[in-house]
Amino acid sequence: MVEFKLPDVGEGMHEGEIVKVLVRTGESVQQDQPLLEVQTDKVNAELSAPVTGIIRDIFISEGETVEVGTTLLVIDAGTEAKKEETKLPEKVVNPDKTVNFAPARADHRRSLATPYVRQLAREMKLDIELVTGTGAAGRVTEEDLRQFANRLQKSVPAKFPTSATGNERLLEASTVEVETEPVVQPKTGTTTRATTSSQGDIERLPLKGIRKKIAEHMVKSVTIIPHVTSVDELEMDQLRALREKLKPYAEKRNIKLTFLPFFIKALVIALKEFPTLNASIDEHTNEILLKRFYHIGIATDTPEGLIVPVIKDADHKSIFQLAEEIDQLARLARKGKLTMEHITGGTFTVSNVGPIGGLQATPIINHPEVAIISLHKMEKRWVVREDEGVIRWMMNLSLSFDHRLIDGVTAVRFTNRIKELLEDPNLLFAEMV
Amino acid sequence: MVVGEVAVETDVVVIGGGPGGYAAAIRLGQLGKSVVLIEKEVLGGVCLNRGCIPSKALIHTAGEYHKLSSLTKLGIQLPTGKTTFHMPSWQTWKSSVVAQLNKGVDYLCQANGVTVVKGTATFLSSDRIGVETGGDFETYKFKQAIIATGSRPFIPSFLKTDGEYILDSTDMLALDDVPETLAIIGGGYIGMELGMAFAKLGSQVTVIEATERILPQTAAHLSSEVLKQAKQLGMTVKTATKVEKAEVANGRVTLACTSEKNGFESVIAHKTLVTIGRVPNTGELGLAQAGVEVDERGYIPVTSIGSTNRAHIYAIGDVTPGPALAHRATKQGIVAAEVIAGLPSSVDSPFVPYVIFTEPQIAGVGMTREEAELQGYKVKVAAFPYRANGRALAMDEGEGFAEVIVDQDSHLLLGMHVVGADASNLIGEGVLALELAARVEDVALTMHPHPTLSEVWLEAAEAVLGHAIHIVNKSKVAVNQ
Ligand SMILES: Cc1cc2nc3c(=O)[nH]c(=O)nc-3n(C[C@H](O)[C@H](O)[C@H](O)COP(=O)(O)OP(=O)(O)OC[C@H]3O[C@@H](n4cnc5c(N)ncnc54)[C@H](O)[C@@H]3O)c2cc1C
Repeated sequence: MVEFKLPDVGEGMHEGEIVKVLVRTGESVQQDQPLLEVQTDKVNAELSAPVTGIIRDIFISEGETVEVGTTLLVIDAGTEAKKEETKLPEKVVNPDKTVNFAPARADHRRSLATPYVRQLAREMKLDIELVTGTGAAGRVTEEDLRQFANRLQKSVPAKFPTSATGNERLLEASTVEVETEPVVQPKTGTTTRATTSSQGDIERLPLKGIRKKIAEHMVKSVTIIPHVTSVDELEMDQLRALREKLKPYAEKRNIKLTFLPFFIKALVIALKEFPTLNASIDEHTNEILLKRFYHIGIATDTPEGLIVPVIKDADHKSIFQLAEEIDQLARLARKGKLTMEHITGGTFTVSNVGPIGGLQATPIINHPEVAIISLHKMEKRWVVREDEGVIRWMMNLSLSFDHRLIDGVTAVRFTNRIKELLEDPNLLFAEMV
Repeated sequence: MVVGEVAVETDVVVIGGGPGGYAAAIRLGQLGKSVVLIEKEVLGGVCLNRGCIPSKALIHTAGEYHKLSSLTKLGIQLPTGKTTFHMPSWQTWKSSVVAQLNKGVDYLCQANGVTVVKGTATFLSSDRIGVETGGDFETYKFKQAIIATGSRPFIPSFLKTDGEYILDSTDMLALDDVPETLAIIGGGYIGMELGMAFAKLGSQVTVIEATERILPQTAAHLSSEVLKQAKQLGMTVKTATKVEKAEVANGRVTLACTSEKNGFESVIAHKTLVTIGRVPNTGELGLAQAGVEVDERGYIPVTSIGSTNRAHIYAIGDVTPGPALAHRATKQGIVAAEVIAGLPSSVDSPFVPYVIFTEPQIAGVGMTREEAELQGYKVKVAAFPYRANGRALAMDEGEGFAEVIVDQDSHLLLGMHVVGADASNLIGEGVLALELAARVEDVALTMHPHPTLSEVWLEAAEAVLGHAIHIVNKSKVAVNQ
């Protein structure tokens, strides 16, 4: 028997959410066959079987968060499940024989409880098999369930049902799917997912998965970093013209050319000149780490929430290469297929909310980075040029920076440089390595 | 309703209007979902139209007819002259029963907001289904789907049914007269139920069963009671015998059979009924388009909430592996519906009762003695015979017994089985007791009304404990108890 535990799939992660269980008990698996999908610090990782064998027990359920080191399932190594009789009987034998009336599964260890108590356990999301019954002959009573739930709440809540039967595993899965649907009253009417207040119905959804990670990360960022945001505006006409000119070339190579690669190029140039913006602070050793590599995170909106895939060594890549990579990463992000590799190691982040709208913002720095830039909506505005009012394509950008490390003056100079590079994109070429 | 390319959107599509499908649809309606129920024939499925209900209507009729011959013993003087059975009148009555139930299902669907569509459904993709409705083709887009297309008789290639001489159970229940001689291939519950009914109505019945005994799904000592009765009814039962060939000539079917005991022999009959099992209706459903997997035998594996390998597509009833029984289909249907509506339901019970309407009836729930022992239990078993029950004798139904299987250590009830009159109704108490995790004392200490057949449970439970009143107990009670 091989106990399969949740490994540390990402740097120093300590827990993960089980997103999908791909196998069932009794199923035979090959070595390296995917068993589960876990979601850790913003990525989905597929865990595969360490050995060939039969799945004997599955202790977790979909949607559950478990700590590194928790036993997820047990594999009976070396055996392979017997294949069932495959062919339909050609001779007259009685197939009824295979369909015995008797219970198909061993109910050997099934805990004793009435159907009502079982239903209640499901509603309370408790694995009844874990509850010690105090009723006659060890029956699990309603009171036993409540006591068990209380004890669980007092101990580690993350460990809630550490083991679950197949039913509950699926139960979890199905509730996840219908979470956003109108709330229906549970069968026994004893627990309820909705609270009615004087303001109307409130739907309670668990803060979990990626959303929970984002929440934790944001809290950390704002509590550690004193944020300052400065806003400026850029004139985009020349960049627009350049992009139009390059578009046909990009299309020929099947590349979707957006503004973002130009921004990244300009950013990288500016970051090289203002090294404190491509740095981080080691809070433990009180050191400033200046990074001589330029891994640019691009905040991407996905159905699951905001995810930041990282473009590694952006300074070594051409505009077209950047465009291609952005497209690829965004696609992976939306499918939830990013790996740990894709989302770690960033040194600076760009958030592009322009396509959606908005004038300015206070972007929150992606700790341990020290600055983040946010690009806003591009629009035609009246501006004054040589004492005359003219219409130009304008765009705001907001730069949040870590005031522990970066002064306002540096930040503004940094933005000025980006502005210079983008307002006259010929300069981009002049700086190109 | 929009016809053609535009798909009608609905929360849930239920394919098949049998006891699984219609129960699911009604429950979904109750829970506020929009539901489309697609049925290619008539609501009620096999169960209502050509299975449970028609067969039980026939069995009841045959029972009543057969009883007439024993009424004189009870002092009832029948007018002289032979009582006859008129099958066309029976068909009319049966149809009225079925029609009434069909109407009921239809009404309940309407009352719960279920849209019933008549047509044959096929999956077009994992969220669209096409329905052929006599010339038209409609498409439905669904969030969830429930497959409840049931099963059909398994007929091996060398036994092609022709509806006239070689029949399946559906043909058999549609007959307009009682065949003089009838051969039945397959001694399972459907074969034995229909065989005994026709025997009571006057057919010369021969049952040919490939395994060692009839009703191989039940414990041997239960099925042997039925075998006894079969012989009394004049039936011929050939076990461990295989049919190799069937030929129709001169209005007769000749079956070529082989067995170890008798070697080659042939059985000749006016009609032959083939009941050797059922196969799931999954072949023509376009399951591949929906990405739903089936096993080697065509069944759709499901979890305890009924979901297939595609989490939003559920399967229930005879299309799933397990006993093909209407009550299992219904339970699975209700659970799937509730899960779809967000309720934490589950088919988590190993207690699927079975009922067999033979003479006498057999019914049971939980493990047999053999199964319990195989699972490592030390068991105590006691049986109480019908002939020691007052009511049974007063009904002239002294055949049979009730048996209780108990875990020796905890006295927990593991199984309850009964063979005898009205076993099908008596098993209700057994299912409830097992579901409630009752101990044998719980049954023994419950006051059962007298005189009723239900007392057989009371006495069997007491017999396990060594103090049944109406039989001599095998294990004597210790003096201080
Ligand atoms: C003679 C006989 C006696 C029986 N006696 C008993 C008994 O005493 N007790 C018991 O519990 N069980 C009994 N059964 C078994 C019982 O009838 C079945 O287990 C039960 O009907 C299964 O229900 P279901 O909902 O899964 O499918 P079904 O009842 O088979 O219903 C499936 C429905 O789906 C429809 N359908 C199929 N394909 C499509 C499609 N592509 N599009 C649209 N509609 C489709 C069919 O027309 C059918 O109406 C008996 C069966 C037979 C044959």
